[in-house]
Amino acid sequence: MKSEYLSEYDNIVRTMQMYIDGSKQGKSELMRPAFHPSASFFGYAGEQLAVGTQFLFDWIDKNGPAPNIEPRFVSVDILESIAVVRLEVAEWSGKLAGSGVRMSDLFTLLKTPGGWKIIQKAFHWHATEQSLAA
Amino acid sequence: MPERNTPQKTLESWKQIAAYLDRSERTVRRWEATEGLPVHRHEHERQDTVFAYRHEIEAWSRLRTTCPNPFSVDGADNLPAPTPVVNAYLVEHDAITRTMHRYIAGARAGDSDLMRSAFHPSATISGYCLGVEYTGSVEHVFQWIDENGPAPNINPRFARIEIIESIAVVHLEVQHWSGKLAGANARASDVFTLLKRNGEWKITHKLFHWHDQ
Repeated sequence: MKSEYLSEYDNIVRTMQMYIDGSKQGKSELMRPAFHPSASFFGYAGEQLAVGTQFLFDWIDKNGPAPNIEPRFVSVDILESIAVVRLEVAEWSGKLAGSGVRMSDLFTLLKTPGGWKIIQKAFHWHATEQSLAA
Repeated sequence: MPERNTPQKTLESWKQIAAYLDRSERTVRRWEATEGLPVHRHEHERQDTVFAYRHEIEAWSRLRTTCPNPFSVDGADNLPAPTPVVNAYLVEHDAITRTMHRYIAGARAGDSDLMRSAFHPSATISGYCLGVEYTGSVEHVFQWIDENGPAPNINPRFARIEIIESIAVVHLEVQHWSGKLAGANARASDVFTLLKRNGEWKITHKLFHWHDQ
């Protein structure tokens, strides 16, 4: 029998996989179901503060496929109805991302009657000299 | 409460804040670091250019007088000066706990004015309380805090602080919640996400789990 933690862990990773699939294929429609309707999105794209999930979805669609991304779950912390996932993604590529860039993400999730939903994504973009010059 | 609509008079330096509280500069700096004394930093200026609102300082001071913090060390002016912090992680860690202490001070006093400066203007909240989902603007938090009133016995603990350059996550465990809405001796687990902006950490999201009693 699976422990309660492991079954919640699996459910959370399934939600996160939608985000990863959408990122890899450059299709925001694949990741939209993973997000809560009131989800927020925060972080710096260069000097610019990016806010709002629409910014994220537009970015994913414009960036296009990023077939070589290497996502790693650094931590998955579950506190009953809420969870924090730290995802490190190496080898980001695409029209907007450039190539070989790295992103650190902090996702917070809420357990709703419809399953685990991302309620916020905060990101830190590790700028390379190349992407800074762009 | 009565000060809320009066013009916001400011104190423009550590020296003025210290004089206003009749303490040394070192003491008021320590109060900011450890007890949530509401001090603000000017954006786009060097880190140590600070200011404070008199009404916030007064509200904090009233609270401190009525609810002494068990961890406060009065008379610590006689202690040796602290070693300058050179570890970059600790500098950010301290800045994050300073922001979090504003939230804690407001929660303890039941006065949202004390915590507003800790939040980003677009901050949001989400979580369930007794089966009802609360999702939306941080204004929900401020309303709840004001309606709940003082919760003098809350015991907040930083279970985890994780910093990734410009973003951070803080897991705060709060025991002994009380008040008009909280009831008595309740417990909450909070996960705050923070963003570093112009050298200051601001809460962008508060996610909570309210433990059923």
